[in-house]
Amino acid sequence: MAHGVAKAVNSLFFFVAVAAGLALAGMSFWALRGASQRKGHGHCLGALDSVPRDLDYMSQIRQSLDPADLEFAKAKGGRHLESRLRRERRQVSLLYLAAIRRDFEQSLRVARVIAVLSPEVSGSQEYERIRQSMMFRWRFQMIKGRLLIGNMPQPQLVALWQMASSMAVQMEQTMAKLGERAALAAELALQSEK
Amino acid sequence: MLELPTFILTAWGLATVLTLFLLVRIFLHRMYRRYPFFTFYLGANLLQTAVLSFLYQPYGFSDTTHGCGSAWATQAFVVVARGFAAAEVSYRILGKFKGVWALAMKTLIACGAIVLISTLYFGTRSYPLAVITLEMSLEGFIATWIVGSLLFARYYEVPVEPAAGMVGLGLGLLSCCRLLNDLVFERHVQAYLDVWNYVSGVAFLCVLLLWNWYMRGPATQTAHDPQLNTVQVYQSLIPQVNRKLAELNQQLSRFWRTESPKP
Repeated sequence: MAHGVAKAVNSLFFFVAVAAGLALAGMSFWALRGASQRKGHGHCLGALDSVPRDLDYMSQIRQSLDPADLEFAKAKGGRHLESRLRRERRQVSLLYLAAIRRDFEQSLRVARVIAVLSPEVSGSQEYERIRQSMMFRWRFQMIKGRLLIGNMPQPQLVALWQMASSMAVQMEQTMAKLGERAALAAELALQSEK
Repeated sequence: MLELPTFILTAWGLATVLTLFLLVRIFLHRMYRRYPFFTFYLGANLLQTAVLSFLYQPYGFSDTTHGCGSAWATQAFVVVARGFAAAEVSYRILGKFKGVWALAMKTLIACGAIVLISTLYFGTRSYPLAVITLEMSLEGFIATWIVGSLLFARYYEVPVEPAAGMVGLGLGLLSCCRLLNDLVFERHVQAYLDVWNYVSGVAFLCVLLLWNWYMRGPATQTAHDPQLNTVQVYQSLIPQVNRKLAELNQQLSRFWRTESPKP
């Protein structure tokens, strides 16, 4: 029996190792795609200068997501109008969700740039960010699926957007403060040299 | 006096010619200054071919008593040289980004060590195949290191010099091919013995063709030195980002369970 177990483990190791070898070979091609076209990182931090503009349309989005609005349309214009409105507003919600995703990815990208341009990087912070972003993407897809089948508590979409946007706003504010401090430090250094 | 198979002699001859072409180009374009370990690795390969021809030509492959140990010793030397070349390529790709390079080194050493130890542990333990198991584990380590470096570069959107990319890709593919080749050989020793040599030779020839094709012109593109921020920027921003992501995920999980959001 021990020989049988050893043989099974050996076979399992063989298949796992072959799969890992093939995966490594494939990943080396995938990882290198577009590598020489990647630009430097200086321009990416400029993305923080433009705060997400979706905030300007929040009141309209909020109203479009209000169920009472659909009831009013049904009462005034009949089922046909109500179903058309529901369909169009679902499209708007999906576009809104896509905008949330874009804001989120943009913030993540800036965080990556900050990490790569830092002389010290914390492994635990990087791992945490990767873990959180994978969870976000998974749950995002689940919510998108629920929205597509029309089963989504709408007001939470607005709260979700607010959270994603506030991340970008906070990063911009912190970068501005750090920029001011750096300018002040440079000025002090210049004065002390004189 | 047994002769080596014609295919093997042809493959070794072609590999020697291609390696010489490559070395001439490396010296002409002065790339040996930026890739000294890679240049040394190519030289080690040339030397190995000469030694193997000398060792095997009188007796052929089937005679395992004469020169087999010396042949495997040369292989160990070449694999170690390839390991150093892989580390050099990795440094060329990520070394300018000190924080990410420090993180990548720790991660890749840990992953590579796991691959190496697992392969040694689960590989065949019989004495005749011990050398194959050892080679497999080293090749697994090198492949993990190279691919891991490229994945780090992709995740952090680090621009990769074409030369570093091609050398890294070649080294990574070569290690993967040798690893797979040795895995199959370890399992089907008798049936696969001749094929093992052919596959090994062809894989190396293909990689040499790739490197020669890439280096047919002068390498002009080099990555610029990045201007690093102060460490305070990272320490201020990244914990905030991670906290926000955690809150976002909590919000998402509440949506999924259709609970009301907290004010």
